[in-house]
Amino acid sequence: MSVLAVNTVDRLDRPSAYYAGKNKRRRYNDREEEREQDESSSKLSNATTLYVGNLSFYTTEEQIHELFAKCGEIKRLVMGLDRFNKTPCGFCFVEYYTHQDALDCLKYIGGTKLDERIIRTDLDPGFEEGRQYGRGKSGGQVRDEYRDEYDPGRGGYGRAYDEQRQREEDEYGAGR
Amino acid sequence: MADYERRNNGYRGGGGGRKRRYRDDEDFDRRPQRRRYEEPLFVQVRRQLLTIAESAARRVEDDIMSIAKSVAENYDDQELRNTYVDISLDLVLEQPMKIPFVAATTLVAYNLKAELGADLLKKAGEALQKYIDLGSWREVKLLLRFLGGLQPLFEGEGIFPLLEELFARAVDLQTASSEDLLGLELVKIILFTIPYVMTSPATGFESQALALLEKTDIIASTPHALVDLVNTFSPDENKEAAGPSVISLLQSQLQGEANRGWELKCLPRPWKGVQEIEKDDQEPGQSLFEPVNKVTFPQVNVPNPVPNGPRPLFPEVYISVYANQEIDTVPPPSDITSLLLRDALVDTINLIDFNRVAGAKYLIDVDCYFTPYTFVKRATPFDRMRDLAGEGQSWKPEDVAVDAVFSQLYQLPTPEHKLVYYHALLTECCKIAPAAIAPSLGRAIRFLYNNLDTMDLELSNRFLDWFAHHLSNFGFTWKWSEWVEDLDLPAIHPKLAFINGALDKEIRLSFAQRIKGTLPEPYIPLITEGKEKDTPEFKYMSETAPYAKEGQELMQLIRKKAGDEEIQPVIASIEEQAQSLGVDDPKIPSTDALVTSICFVGSKSLSHVLSCIERNKDRLLAIGPVSQRARCQIIGSVMEYWADQSGIAIDIIDKLLNYTIISPLSVLEWALSESIAAGTVLAKSHIYEMISATVGKVTNRMRQIVAARTQPGLYEPQLSVLDETLARERAEMQALFQFIEDSIVSVAAGSNDELMERGDGSGDLPEDAIIRQWGRRWLRVFRRKVAVEEAFISDALAHATPVGTEAPPMQPDTSGEEDVKIADADEQ
Repeated sequence: MSVLAVNTVDRLDRPSAYYAGKNKRRRYNDREEEREQDESSSKLSNATTLYVGNLSFYTTEEQIHELFAKCGEIKRLVMGLDRFNKTPCGFCFVEYYTHQDALDCLKYIGGTKLDERIIRTDLDPGFEEGRQYGRGKSGGQVRDEYRDEYDPGRGGYGRAYDEQRQREEDEYGAGR
Repeated sequence: MADYERRNNGYRGGGGGRKRRYRDDEDFDRRPQRRRYEEPLFVQVRRQLLTIAESAARRVEDDIMSIAKSVAENYDDQELRNTYVDISLDLVLEQPMKIPFVAATTLVAYNLKAELGADLLKKAGEALQKYIDLGSWREVKLLLRFLGGLQPLFEGEGIFPLLEELFARAVDLQTASSEDLLGLELVKIILFTIPYVMTSPATGFESQALALLEKTDIIASTPHALVDLVNTFSPDENKEAAGPSVISLLQSQLQGEANRGWELKCLPRPWKGVQEIEKDDQEPGQSLFEPVNKVTFPQVNVPNPVPNGPRPLFPEVYISVYANQEIDTVPPPSDITSLLLRDALVDTINLIDFNRVAGAKYLIDVDCYFTPYTFVKRATPFDRMRDLAGEGQSWKPEDVAVDAVFSQLYQLPTPEHKLVYYHALLTECCKIAPAAIAPSLGRAIRFLYNNLDTMDLELSNRFLDWFAHHLSNFGFTWKWSEWVEDLDLPAIHPKLAFINGALDKEIRLSFAQRIKGTLPEPYIPLITEGKEKDTPEFKYMSETAPYAKEGQELMQLIRKKAGDEEIQPVIASIEEQAQSLGVDDPKIPSTDALVTSICFVGSKSLSHVLSCIERNKDRLLAIGPVSQRARCQIIGSVMEYWADQSGIAIDIIDKLLNYTIISPLSVLEWALSESIAAGTVLAKSHIYEMISATVGKVTNRMRQIVAARTQPGLYEPQLSVLDETLARERAEMQALFQFIEDSIVSVAAGSNDELMERGDGSGDLPEDAIIRQWGRRWLRVFRRKVAVEEAFISDALAHATPVGTEAPPMQPDTSGEEDVKIADADEQ
């Protein structure tokens, strides 16, 4: 392990821009931003939980367990569910016993494949009840609403996009 | 990603981000053009230095000159000066393959501006002192390598007095104890420094180097008692394949090199190229790198005795997965190139674990950091190597890189990082250069597969785990057809056991049908119908099963979360029936029905079965204290229900251990006594996995208790309390290891009762020899674990506060804190 405080190449075990950005969007002025940034980074400085994204809807708990246990014993695994029909919707939270295990997971598992999909991992301040549900309009994750590429592992096209496509097609048919 | 955020902030101002909810990262292009500005010089130099030698398209000599000139000519620019000094040392400590290039830059810089060189030397000396005091021996080695490359700058004998002093410490340590490993480590550092001194522009140090080598010989060449224990191949199983220790190998390689006038042909001498360029400017007869004003070697104080570092030391063994090929693709152990490349690569791998993508890139670029004739062109096919073989042969860069990663994946007792790091690194290499790396991996896999029977068992299981994980990243494609013949081997043969184990692991990362689709026809029967079933049958559904009615009833009750008053009568009814049938322990059938029902009701997912266990926790916890055999039955029932998907069974067993519903010993009893099946159980990879995990839980806990006991600032009465806990747990751990030893020793010796009763009892059945071999390999693994754990405990306790130490007066009360620590240790 490197002994340097600043490394000669970037580190993979840092929180993502998404996490930093999410907090920034809520800020009102610079001072508040500074405070929030401080808070958000201290919240993560001992984080043992990871958000895991880009899973297939069909990937099971056991598969996730199998892969993620390679970085340490798993304390808790929470599957992300569709808000309405309570089926997996392509993300989960993995909680380890130690912060180091979580960091190692970012370094060694984030960006590799599970169930033949490149998965994404991000440090997370910790699971809270309610966060297991998708926040998209139709119950899944927001990203699955407007996605215009077809992804068989995540329910085909984005739902909102698909609806619109359907509508257009129907209208076109009616006009003819 | 971090970069994007910063830009976003600077350009769009505060409000811009709000409306852009999607694709924040992608649409920077449309923003107004960035104001053009000159990059500050220090940024330029920083980049140049960080990427030194990385590009085959640029001459490294030009970069060396340009960096040194920029910094020397702008010596007054403090930011630039500091950047240069800091980055140089950072590279030394984090990207060791670049050390010769950084050293050459330093030589030129010193030549242009002596003060600049002095600044860097001062910092390097301070760092060296710091890491010696910490006992961070790898960092010490790298700094010595750097300073060794600067040998011509120093007055007198330069680095040699320090090497001599380190050697004196090593002698002290070795004299004090024959088990000493720190002394060996110091000798290894000395030996790995010499080549870099000899390839520096300094001349006339041959006699010093040789004198040192003569002295180290006795220490380096004496085999350490632990070498056999950490060998990839047990010398008892495969004497030929068992590798030599790194230190003895290096000693003999260096002696050979001394006889050849220190040819060291793989090590780059970038200063030579610089000398060529600068030839015209030089006064004739004066070497560019023999400065008139020399400096003293940085003052370093080596404490006596030297401190042990943070990582426990073990002997290292040289292993190559490309040994015994028809054509050599990696340097043979007789060639010093083998260890010089390996050492630099291994340090790079282990230092840069925080960015496996960068790590993989350095591995692929290995040919940039050594002399041009060290390697053949990248991605040269194996068959082409045949034509290139012979005198002055060059090596295949991909094989050398992959070999280095495997040497870490196969490090015993444990590598520096989690195994999955080395998996990920190989995956990354494959992603960067698939056409070059994939065939190299293929040959490595074949070597490992062909040597499965004599390889250390821990390592053959690491191989299994890596293989399945690796394939899962590449669409599960493997040339299974080449092992088709091995399908006719007996099921307990190490090769067939590997195939079965690998397929099971693949399924655990994917699903049975998918894996079936990747296999050629002869393998299809291995994916049984049971493996494709999401929910295994509930055995009590069959009316002929004993206790079928009660079993079904119990399952229904558990499914509807019934209370004790409903469940207890059913259990009692099973036990009554069993009693009337003359069953020894009626608790066994009732436990079977209960646990099987829990498994079936919770079969939907891990969280289902966990909440089901949670609801029945008290009932399950009550079984163990009443009947030890019923406790074993809990394990048996789980393993039976999930027989076709053993991965799930292992997970459940793991959780049951956490709940203390079962004990570590009961897992061993179930596997190594009840299910030993004449020793054939030892061939099952999931049994090894389960037992390793169980033992790992115990040793982890033990280490936590040791950590609590040895924390500084601990006084009575806490000391005694912790000491008692430690003694108790240590005895339990020893009992556990003893049980393994006793159960397996009879298998290994061929005196297991069941083994003797098989066939004609002669012990000569063809499979008997295989079973005995499994026994020997198991014993070796667990005997090593005992040795490692016991050594860890006694090392740690040697420095602990002795029992009976009272707190000095006026010390604030710290008892609350310790209570927390003990509780922590208990929780795990």
